[in-house]
Amino acid sequence: MIDELKIKARELLKNKQVDLIIGYQRASDGVLAMPCFVDREEDVDKLIWDVYCVYNLANYLKDYAGQKIGIIAKPCDVRSIVVLLQENQLRRENVYIIGVECSGVIDEKRLRLGAKDIQESATFGVKCKSCKSSTPSICDYLFKDKEKKGKISEDKDEYESVRKLEVRSSLERLKFWEEEFSRCIRCYACRQVCPMCYCPKCVADQAMPAWFSKGANLKGNLSWNLIRAIHLGGRCIDCGECERVCPVGIPLRELNKKIEKDIKELFKYEAGANVEQKPLLASFDKDDPGDWIK
Amino acid sequence: MKENKEDREPKIVGFLCNWCSYAGADLAGTSRIEYPPNIRIIRVPCSGRVNPLFVLKCLMDGADGVLISGCHIGDCHYSEGNFYARRRFAILKRLLEYLGIDSRRFQMSWVSASEGDKWSKLIKELVQEIKQAGPNKSNDKKHD
Ligand code: SF4
Ligand code: SF4
Repeated sequence: MIDELKIKARELLKNKQVDLIIGYQRASDGVLAMPCFVDREEDVDKLIWDVYCVYNLANYLKDYAGQKIGIIAKPCDVRSIVVLLQENQLRRENVYIIGVECSGVIDEKRLRLGAKDIQESATFGVKCKSCKSSTPSICDYLFKDKEKKGKISEDKDEYESVRKLEVRSSLERLKFWEEEFSRCIRCYACRQVCPMCYCPKCVADQAMPAWFSKGANLKGNLSWNLIRAIHLGGRCIDCGECERVCPVGIPLRELNKKIEKDIKELFKYEAGANVEQKPLLASFDKDDPGDWIK
Repeated sequence: MKENKEDREPKIVGFLCNWCSYAGADLAGTSRIEYPPNIRIIRVPCSGRVNPLFVLKCLMDGADGVLISGCHIGDCHYSEGNFYARRRFAILKRLLEYLGIDSRRFQMSWVSASEGDKWSKLIKELVQEIKQAGPNKSNDKKHD
């Protein structure tokens, strides 16, 4: 089964269709997966694909600008490649997308917390439970998973928790977020892992002007988390990586999903859905809602 | 001297586009139409020039309110700057609200160069609304 993927990878390298393949390999613990960079045919055997292949490898693409890269990508990862293409950060001819069918990947934290069977739905990422696509929207080669068990997605409102927070009072919301953000240690892991965070100089690192405090204080943290979310407005494709890596467990998807929901309502826009479409904030519609403006 | 926070006059930062709203506010002045002095005006080339960071910095550094004002839709000096601004800040407005920051503190308006009276009315209302929202406590937050 996985052989099919290896044969394809070997062929791509052999024919010099790509210079490098970014995929997954088994980590040294023998269970989890880690990213793997294959540029020689003999290394192709390292490649794996299973429920442990959590990472969004699209994050590495920008490091190889100008080279021809083959990348193994789940449906959510492909959405982020679409955004990079929309924003002219990649050239379509330079990336060879090896799409994989996906029915969900594990959530390591949940797994550690004691789920026994990896097929137990509790072990899957929360993002996977609301993900509706099992096949990538674009790819150059599709690796079909014959043992695929179908989508683990639970057919429920993906914005349920956002809505629950929205109906609480303004004061309760502020308290909720202040408590969450007060734990932020400003490690910027959420930024580093995000495939859409590619600015050469992040506003959080700027000194002239210093837009907000660099210290891990409440004001600085509130500013950072708000700006991170805003800068991903219309660009975040909900790969969930930021929330996964946050060492202090801040529910960052709750912010991302809020914006995602708003832009669906306001502008009928979905990030990473269509390569031909102009990015949300680099375009407008004459009939965008303006009733909130005086 | 310790001022009484509850009846402190609110401070509002206004980002006004050079071509319409700034001229509109100027017209209010030259026509001697009165409006409250709570607004501190910053002139920008276009409402589309305003960055969400500007708004954030004002609110975090203690401004009680922020207003972005530009040309009416269709009248932008650069044809489409205010269309971009409208999209961008619709998202910010909702996000601020979601974070529990009183949404009255962040507002937008379209005021043309001939609308001195609209400007004066707008600021009177805005000051009322922001007084109701109360003083911005962001500066009281712990710094360490
Ligand atoms: S903000 Fe988080 S969920 Fe969205 S694209 Fe970036 S890493 Fe993925
Ligand atoms: S990963 Fe978490 S703790 Fe680190 S900067 Fe992001 S929100 Fe803060």
